[in-house]
Amino acid sequence: MMLNQFLLLSAVLFSMGVYGVLTRRNGVLVLMSVELILNAVNINLVAFGAFQDNVQGDVFAIFVIAVAAAEVGVGLAMVLLMYRNRKSTDFTELDMLKG
Amino acid sequence: MIAALTLAQQSLTRDGFTEALPQNIAFAIIAGVMLFSAFKTVTTGNVVHAALYLMIVLGASAAIFILLGSDFVGATQILVYIGAIIVLFLFGIMLTKAQLGDDDSVSSERRGMGALVGVLLFVVIGFAVVDTFGNTEVAFGDPEPVVFEPGSFAVDDLPTPVVDALGFAGRGGEVEITQSSFDLLDPEVQRRVPGAEVFGNNKQIADAIFSDYIIPFEATSVLLLAALIGAVVVARKE
Repeated sequence: MMLNQFLLLSAVLFSMGVYGVLTRRNGVLVLMSVELILNAVNINLVAFGAFQDNVQGDVFAIFVIAVAAAEVGVGLAMVLLMYRNRKSTDFTELDMLKG
Repeated sequence: MIAALTLAQQSLTRDGFTEALPQNIAFAIIAGVMLFSAFKTVTTGNVVHAALYLMIVLGASAAIFILLGSDFVGATQILVYIGAIIVLFLFGIMLTKAQLGDDDSVSSERRGMGALVGVLLFVVIGFAVVDTFGNTEVAFGDPEPVVFEPGSFAVDDLPTPVVDALGFAGRGGEVEITQSSFDLLDPEVQRRVPGAEVFGNNKQIADAIFSDYIIPFEATSVLLLAALIGAVVVARKE
């Protein structure tokens, strides 16, 4: 198998995640798109690890998974808080800092 | 005509397509399912459907990890992502009453800009990747033979299958296991011999995490604790 097929797959996944982050308004869906991006990164890490024939890529992928879990926990708590205060999870309404 | 076919076959063999045909077919199926589900995740109007499509994407990427020989990362992916994060997402959807039906329609201008940015990103990354790695192969051989260092072992320390297979039953003290007697063993028994390198990279991952990466590992545990407390503090009712 070629290294490129994994890298291109992950590039497509990453681009789709960026598209999701830019176009979605619902906070939960934005977080899901962020997960797509992190997953694309993981595929890259594991593919490079297999390419170099060492386990560093795997170890980093495991750390990324742990950090992603923490990110989703805090992110969803914030979405929940936003829903409680504003009865909406639309990220485009979060413009209080706009002068 | 025949020369062209031979040339084509040679180039196919050179880039490893026919050498690793089963893996490539598996990759094509997994990648197809994955990209379709990822597309549906970012475009579907139904929030719950988006979460379920995301689950398929994460499962497919676990399959990709296993295809790449990283079975431990694949298992972790299934446990953490499909087992925990998707459930968390579904809880988030239920608790926020985020329109279980359709997501609010997004202006087509915004969609267009998003698609433009996505396509541009893919073109840039794709060009860089193809330009840099060209036809580089991921090295996959047959499973490596079990590596073993001959030496003497105390019979009491050896697992029962090894003792039985080598005919050491009933003997005490130290016994010698030579390379030739090791080679005659069944592969299932071989990996039970102390000091034998088992197939798969779980052992190396454990070694790396608990030696070179021990500080990041401990920092991760602190991060998870901080995230736990932070989530509780942020989400609790006053």
